Amino acid sequence: MLTKDLLRYKIREGQIYPQFVKPTDSQLLSVSDQLITVFEASPNTQRSTLLETSKHIIDSTPDNVIVKRGLEKLLLDRTEFDTAPNEELIAFRQNLFTETSRLLSQDMFSNYEEYLQKVSQIAGVESQSEKGELGDRLYADLPNCQPVLSFKTLSAQHLLHRYNTAQVQGLLLHCNSLTLNLSESMTAELRQLFKYLRFNQLLSTIRKKKIGNDDCFQITVDGPLNLFYKTKRYGMNLANFFVAVLHQPKWEITAEIQFRNKRSSRLYLNESCGIKPISQQFLAYIPEDIQLFQDMLHNKTDDWQIHPGSQFLPLPGDFYCFPDYQLIHTSGIEVWIELFHPWHQGHLLARLNTLGAQTGTPLIIGVSKELQKQSIIAEAMETSGHFSKFGFTFRDIPTMGALLPILNSLVDIDR
Amino acid sequence: MDPLKIDFDKGTLILQNVPESLQSQLPDILWDERTLTHRAPAYRYRHIISQLRAHDMPYEDTARQFTVKEFANQKQVSPYPYQSEAIDAWHANGKRGVISLPTGAGKTFIAILLIADTQRPTLVHVPTIDLMHQWYEVLKEHFEQEVGLYGGGQHELQDLTVTTYQSAVMHAPHYGNRFGLAIYDECHHLPGDQYQYAAISSIAPFRLGLTATPERVDGKESRLYALVGECCYEAQVQELSGKTLSEYRVVTIAVDMQDTERIQYEEARRTYLDFLKKARINMGTSRGWHTFLWKSSQSEEGRVAFKAYLTQKQLSFASAAKQEWVWKLIQRHRGDRILIFTQDNDTAYQIGTRFFLPVLTHQTKLKERNAFLNGFRDGTFSILVTSKVLNEGVDVPEANVAIIVSGSGSVREHVQRLGRILRKREGKQAVLYELISKKTSEQFVNQRRRQHHAYQTR
Repeated sequence: MLTKDLLRYKIREGQIYPQFVKPTDSQLLSVSDQLITVFEASPNTQRSTLLETSKHIIDSTPDNVIVKRGLEKLLLDRTEFDTAPNEELIAFRQNLFTETSRLLSQDMFSNYEEYLQKVSQIAGVESQSEKGELGDRLYADLPNCQPVLSFKTLSAQHLLHRYNTAQVQGLLLHCNSLTLNLSESMTAELRQLFKYLRFNQLLSTIRKKKIGNDDCFQITVDGPLNLFYKTKRYGMNLANFFVAVLHQPKWEITAEIQFRNKRSSRLYLNESCGIKPISQQFLAYIPEDIQLFQDMLHNKTDDWQIHPGSQFLPLPGDFYCFPDYQLIHTSGIEVWIELFHPWHQGHLLARLNTLGAQTGTPLIIGVSKELQKQSIIAEAMETSGHFSKFGFTFRDIPTMGALLPILNSLVDIDR
Repeated sequence: MDPLKIDFDKGTLILQNVPESLQSQLPDILWDERTLTHRAPAYRYRHIISQLRAHDMPYEDTARQFTVKEFANQKQVSPYPYQSEAIDAWHANGKRGVISLPTGAGKTFIAILLIADTQRPTLVHVPTIDLMHQWYEVLKEHFEQEVGLYGGGQHELQDLTVTTYQSAVMHAPHYGNRFGLAIYDECHHLPGDQYQYAAISSIAPFRLGLTATPERVDGKESRLYALVGECCYEAQVQELSGKTLSEYRVVTIAVDMQDTERIQYEEARRTYLDFLKKARINMGTSRGWHTFLWKSSQSEEGRVAFKAYLTQKQLSFASAAKQEWVWKLIQRHRGDRILIFTQDNDTAYQIGTRFFLPVLTHQTKLKERNAFLNGFRDGTFSILVTSKVLNEGVDVPEANVAIIVSGSGSVREHVQRLGRILRKREGKQAVLYELISKKTSEQFVNQRRRQHHAYQTR
């Protein structure tokens, strides 16, 4: 992530415009290449050496200094340093300081050189050059001296895309909520988006909206305290969430950005901004939990097929949810499952409230036993007409013993 | 109608079935259409419960996850009269509020007595890891029971837990309903943009703030009082000097730079000031510094000016002449316990390297930090160099001499640094030396600082 001093943006008439770089800019690609080469060669060198070398590249041309420092910061984020304590040096210091403390408490020195002479004797240092190095050696384990352990490399072009993403993320750190419009689609990318949303413990409201001639889903994303404060408490979560937005084929975000003691400005971006996704997308990959679920289901029945959730499901009123799984029966019956883990208390209460006593929504609710331990949740589950028909509990992962009776009842009803 | 229910959710309260007639009586609750419930910030818990009781409104409270807990203080020490007054004032204020006492006046001891009085699981908030460990030791010593640590890589919750503000901001949304008493040490930090959420996300009905200086430059102490309670007791350093604090004197030494340094200083300062003038930057305004940072990054000339700014600052902070004075003072105070303070880590390490002294900064690893602090307390080390980590709270009662090589210029910092050497010991006469570079901006800052009462009465 980029710190505030490394962000480049312009504010005009209340609108904030991140200053993206062109990922095809030959000069920046060349600088990126040089920096990456330095970082690739850095393992086993000291942090200060690495920084001096990269500084040399940054200073070699006078333009784009902030961009180059930003690129350096992103490369540093991918670098691991050896931060383990140097026990030998710590012991050396402990012994030396015990002695210097004794000297300074008891003896009067005619001048500093006399003291230095005495300390050198204690440390067993005789030659003049070694005396000079004694001080340098004393704190040779400070962060600047830490050796590089590893660096996760990337291509120059990928670095520039990362830089553009980081420009947006850096702004989102200073926002309190964002609104995301997504075109109506059935894509696996959406599943990843909602995973990010839940993982970052954000709250959302999903509404259907018409923009121009197109139907789209408007998702407002923020945190519980946003109801009361324009807090940037969730800025980091929103910045992380943005990575998943980039995978959507058609999107637009609007966010209010407010720097400390400054007026707020509006950030608007859509897929035409040209930033490529920086995280890997595993569309063909079947998540482990789905695979396990599939295997368990196949062991019990061939009548149902399970798929990862990939579309919005309308709920009573004007609301929507994004279920985790979709199940399709050989007869064509479709049903969805939404799972609630221990940290989804607010989400579950909202869902049960929305569903109310209605049983028309084909949504099965799975609730973690840990979450059920909370009396308010247990009571909400007990009194929910929907949950009594379409609800089950689970410990780590849902079991077929709990799920199949509900699935069978759906087939029976349909007959 | 279903009874009103209150539950805790990620630093907020969820309220279900709130009768319409009551909604206007609870000003901080709002309808949350994301969850279709009413919601309130967690810190309004006490207010909401009081209102419900006042209206004889039945309710189910699943938010509160703590009960009465007896904490027996194993050390029977009588408080000083002013400590008893502070305790009474806090009780009279409804078991809320800020107690403001100088460093060394026994704020921690007051907190210990209030934990024992209040009998609720308690979460102590502190600004630094060093203070977290210090509180841990004190709590263990007094209550002889498990004490939890949350912060600096530790994640253990107990009925008595110490956490850093930083960690509490992250984790209070998860455990903010488990403590009945919240203590905010060095509570002037609490109104910070992020730190305030440590208090907002907690339901603790009883709250105690401890500080030597509640006032803030940004005037946000009103936020502190809103979250913790009004300042219910206050005593100044000069009221306790010689009684419960050591006698002290402040000696300011104006230091002449060496000729070469003076030339370098003047040149760098001129470059810096010329740029300010040309770029029309007024450093006297609240935005001055940020404007300078921004404008200086935009051109080569600006970058040169920024380097010049750093050079002149560094020369006034750590001139060779100041180092000579450090040497003289170390020699003058042979046998004393000396703390040397600097504004930045670089200067601290310069001094540590030159005189072969232990340096304590935020870069010092935990094990060595403890070794340095313990070594200083037991006399193994007679001198400790530090930048800012010892400014606040950390207890080094043996220290009797402080040498301030450089500082931020804030009154708070100087009062806190003075506080490090004021803990009473038999026959102790504390001395604080300030080394000020002559004819530099340090001199003006020093003159402004000397208007504080800690200086005026001496």
